[in-house]
Amino acid sequence: MNQSWVAFLPLFVKAAGITIWLSWLALMIGAFGGTLIALMRTSRFLPLRLVALLYTEFFRSIPILIVLFFAYFGVPLVLGIDLPPFAAATCALALHASSTMSEVVRAGIESVGKGQWEAAHASGMRYPAIMRYVVGPQAIRVILPPSVGVYVATLKESSLASIIGYIELTKTGLLVRESTGGGFAPLLVLAVIYFLINYAISLGGAALERRFDVGQKFLTVGAGQ
Amino acid sequence: MQYTFALRTIYPYLGTLWQAALVTLYLSLLGIAISLVIGAGVAVMRRSRSMPVRFLGAAYVEVMRNTPLLVILYIVYFALPQTGLRLSSFTAALIGLSLNSAGYMAEILRAGLIAIPHGQREAAASQGMSGLQAFRYIVFPQVIRIVYAPLGNQFIAVILASSLASVIAVEDVASWMQTIGSTSFRFFETFVVAAGVYLVLCQSVNLGRIAIGRALFKHLRSAR
Repeated sequence: MNQSWVAFLPLFVKAAGITIWLSWLALMIGAFGGTLIALMRTSRFLPLRLVALLYTEFFRSIPILIVLFFAYFGVPLVLGIDLPPFAAATCALALHASSTMSEVVRAGIESVGKGQWEAAHASGMRYPAIMRYVVGPQAIRVILPPSVGVYVATLKESSLASIIGYIELTKTGLLVRESTGGGFAPLLVLAVIYFLINYAISLGGAALERRFDVGQKFLTVGAGQ
Repeated sequence: MQYTFALRTIYPYLGTLWQAALVTLYLSLLGIAISLVIGAGVAVMRRSRSMPVRFLGAAYVEVMRNTPLLVILYIVYFALPQTGLRLSSFTAALIGLSLNSAGYMAEILRAGLIAIPHGQREAAASQGMSGLQAFRYIVFPQVIRIVYAPLGNQFIAVILASSLASVIAVEDVASWMQTIGSTSFRFFETFVVAAGVYLVLCQSVNLGRIAIGRALFKHLRSAR
């Protein structure tokens, strides 16, 4: 029996919520990890800088899909820990987001002039205090607008979770497609929902950029995967 | 059970890896070339005098940049055959990848084009240059400098995105990792090898871009 996909619309809405939550979680973990990497990258110690550079370049040069495969199929074999699809997807997305975020945060830290550091040192401040009270508040204006771009990228990448069987938006679309007789409409609905979510977020990001007016173009984060 | 890392366990599969790496390479190179052409077309559309053409160009960019590649691939792979068009999975992947990447290429090229003030073209015309000459000697050298770095990053993005072709049954490196991993239960080794292939491909683009950029723009740095 061919049901219409319209009957499944509430399911799509619920699945969209799951997708938003999954990518938000991955972005938050990625932002935390990325900030640590960025602090290492701007450190005075060469080994720390080197490790951070290798980390960023490594995750920028391998597809999320193979990280996802490794997290889902490889980790249980190697470490003996069974990762559920949700955890595997969150890990893979967060690892990739952390490498992108580290570059964004680094650009933010480096946008603050050297004189600020010197002035803060001269008034007897230590590294944590300088970061917290001098550099951080100025860097955040540069960091926030491109972070919105990273969120959009992560949201699109979260569609990969469907490949390891996690039922988020894309998987829901595919399942609905199967149960309604393999039509074209569910895939189109899928594309429209993703578009609406991401376009709304992008508009928010553009507004944020105008408000902060740092004169920096929206960071392009490459073709979505 | 202790897992011991042993690369030699996957030696027998290295022949198929070579095939898979070639598929990834072809798919990426063709995807880059085709999306550059489409992207250039869309960038020109966005500079058109006609409002509907401009809108169409902008709509294309927004749709492609805000929809996951995976969904686009599914649409091309599952939906186009229903209109009677039969596509191999490689062709379907190439179409999806190129359409998606073209959205980004268009934005990069447009950023290059709008950076050149119109006065420069007028100045060139006043010197008796034809439109083509002005493009070749005045506009192009400046545009290339602006789009150079972002284009390099986009090339890398296409290589990485090509891995999604494995989902619609293209036998590329990601598919090799998945197939060999599940037949040999050697997911750690296949991951390391597959990551190595992508790392070499992406870093050769990255380092090549930096080296060529140094040679190309040497005169600019010495001028400063």
